[in-house]
Amino acid sequence: MPQLGTLALAIALILAVYSIVANIYGARRNAPDFVVSARHAIWAMCAMVTIAVVVLWVALLRSDFSLEYVAAYSSTTLPTVYKITSLWGGQQGSLLFWTWLLSIFTSIAAFQNRRRNPEIAPYSLAVLAGVAIFFLLMLNFVTRPFDLLATPPAEGSDLNPLLQNYWMAIHPPSLYTGYVSATVPFSFGAAALITGKLDDGWIRSTRRWAIFSWFFLTLGNMFGARWAYEVLGWGGYWAWDPVENAAFMPWLVMTAYLHSVMIQERKDMLKVWNLALIGLAFGLTLFGTFITRSGVISSVHSFTQSGLGPYFLSFLIFVTLAYSALLIFRSKQLRSPAEFESYLSREAAFLFNNLMLVGIAFAVFWGTIFPVLSEAVRGVKITVGPPFFNRVNGPLALGLVALMGIGPLIAWRRTTAGNLVRSFAAPVIIGVSTGIVAAAEGLRQWYVLTAFSLAAFVLGTVLVEFRRGVSARRHMVAEAPAKALVNLVAKNNRRYGGYIIHVGVVVAFVGIVGSSFFRTEVKKSVQAGESFTIGSYTLRFQGLDQKDTPHMESATALVEVLGNDGREITVMEPAKLFFKRPQQPATKVAIRSTPFADLYVVLAGIDDSGQTATFEVFLTPLVFWLWAGGVLMVLGTVIVMWPNVRERAAIATALSQSPILTRELVGAEAGSD
Amino acid sequence: MRARFAFGASIVFLVAALLFFLKNYSAESSASETTTNSDVFEGLTCQCGCGLTVANCNMPTCSFAVPLRHDIDGMIAKGMTRAQIIAFYRKQYGEKILSAPTTEGFNILAWTMPFIALMVGGVAMMVAVGRWHSPAPTEPKPGASPAPFDPELRRRLEKELEERR
Repeated sequence: MPQLGTLALAIALILAVYSIVANIYGARRNAPDFVVSARHAIWAMCAMVTIAVVVLWVALLRSDFSLEYVAAYSSTTLPTVYKITSLWGGQQGSLLFWTWLLSIFTSIAAFQNRRRNPEIAPYSLAVLAGVAIFFLLMLNFVTRPFDLLATPPAEGSDLNPLLQNYWMAIHPPSLYTGYVSATVPFSFGAAALITGKLDDGWIRSTRRWAIFSWFFLTLGNMFGARWAYEVLGWGGYWAWDPVENAAFMPWLVMTAYLHSVMIQERKDMLKVWNLALIGLAFGLTLFGTFITRSGVISSVHSFTQSGLGPYFLSFLIFVTLAYSALLIFRSKQLRSPAEFESYLSREAAFLFNNLMLVGIAFAVFWGTIFPVLSEAVRGVKITVGPPFFNRVNGPLALGLVALMGIGPLIAWRRTTAGNLVRSFAAPVIIGVSTGIVAAAEGLRQWYVLTAFSLAAFVLGTVLVEFRRGVSARRHMVAEAPAKALVNLVAKNNRRYGGYIIHVGVVVAFVGIVGSSFFRTEVKKSVQAGESFTIGSYTLRFQGLDQKDTPHMESATALVEVLGNDGREITVMEPAKLFFKRPQQPATKVAIRSTPFADLYVVLAGIDDSGQTATFEVFLTPLVFWLWAGGVLMVLGTVIVMWPNVRERAAIATALSQSPILTRELVGAEAGSD
Repeated sequence: MRARFAFGASIVFLVAALLFFLKNYSAESSASETTTNSDVFEGLTCQCGCGLTVANCNMPTCSFAVPLRHDIDGMIAKGMTRAQIIAFYRKQYGEKILSAPTTEGFNILAWTMPFIALMVGGVAMMVAVGRWHSPAPTEPKPGASPAPFDPELRRRLEKELEERR
């Protein structure tokens, strides 16, 4: 079986090379047969990588320790679900998984463009195949997933216990999906630069891909934060670790891109900027992988650390130089007769928005690489941790939230003073009132007051937009308010889905601010039957429940939680785990979540007699809203990506009535993707 | 020209405001009448290799963070301030134990560069915007027939009306 995996990867590499050659030859010589053949090669490459993935999965499920990878990242006692997730638990497997996703997305892009974009699609597919070649070279020659052991062990080393968690089962695939799918819009941008087809066709053709990538980057970051919250046991969810930063930066740049392409679609401006942003987003995905694998920067995510760093760095430098050279080469053609009428316009708000997003991305990048710079320049190792990132990004985040409120209410081209007052009066009143009420309630931290006021302001602007849209619909088609709201969102899904995403971001921001500023903590050692308090809760330790399985030993504390009135609210069960292979302790946190605050209980220690337990308890206000904001962002993105039935029906009707329109409308349909 | 000036002024104002916020935010987050152990834990990086702060290292048996937390609790009980405790450990382990760069020497770059970059980006944006053509609004000549409705504007209007329907 392992030989089948090795063979499949070798064939996949050959097919990827062939698809590049055939795509470019077919496009340059106007030979459609070669382009079709290249497309088939891409699908065959995907099939080969799929075979390799299946072979590795079967080996993991069968605990075939003759494979070095299986022996290193699995065991006979590992639960089945984690045997499956072991595919991305180690270096070779995660690279194989990445390549698999890339081959699937490349195949989908090839299928979508089999009759569209005949001029740029072959080059785009060649770029995608080029990226696939890099990963296939790694898998075939540098870090092979199917290497065999001369003497297979009787038992495997097992998956890192920290990765044996359901959030970890879904966090890496989400993030990888976000990373890898960013390659598709990048490849179309590169193809537009290669061919000189520099209108917004490449943007329209990859709009859904860009949103798809952003969606999964959002999910990946959220799942990672949730994993940290539930597994790491320190009561937080974001530590500004270099690898967390590496996942956050492409999200920021992709967010900037999704906003700035709207300007190009509307006004044919920012062509260079949009191409630069998508190149930067792709480069940052490579940078993230470089950080994870190189060990150049100390990180908690060292699960897949290896000697691959130089290869990724070389590829990153090659891609950056080649893409920059293309941008410079096409710079004259990228100049457009742009019009900018007023700084009081949505264009200006979007420019500021891009400045802020890229500014935050730069601050994160700078903080991430500064320890390397310090060591290179001064020879002194330093650490750049959460205090730096919070202080630098805190104010920038306020600016960004303010712009989220301002942008949607300003008109394109120019806004008059009268319009400004009409649009902003209600949201400003809502924001200021919130600040006053918060101050009256005793909040004194200026950052919190500003943040809550701005959040309320943004929510106010979204409310104003929805109210305005609903009342316009009711005026025009006499619908009931609820029906008008549903139709408003359904018929303008991009716009109103976007507003829901904004609400999600603001709600998450409130959760972040609340949980960062008002967390309280108690550490207490108690005997069975004793109790202690935190906030309005009383916690009574009832005793320990100890278990021993072939996979791990565990000690679970039963903690009765009582409210102000002395009545039992719940029983929480924090635990200490001791994994047998590798021998490693871990904690299982117990969380009681409400919209007001999370009660977060960690069993920090047990004395030798098993009678006294030490608990670390956190009471974290508003953290619930971070996750709620994530859910809203997901909901908004689904609405944005939902196929607009009305638009497609209109296109179908027009096509049936007017063949002359066919060419134009097919282009428009492509644009809706 | 006035608009460009306003835009430039707003960039400078923005960066100044951010620096002001940064200063106050920083002061606020570190200003406390009494030193709490979490203040100190947050200021120090665990040296076990986890890369987290002493507050966040989750290893139950960490050979660095666990005894350090105990020692810090003792120092606070003796009345030592956050600054004194952090200075003590900096002397012992060097700068790498601090969880954020100092605000002296080369490290100043760490704190200022993001804002310098923001300002440079803002100025670059201003220059680019300045190059874009701004059509001046034209007054119709007296007696002239009204200008024909711009077909692009008409298309956009119809599209937006259709979207509202």
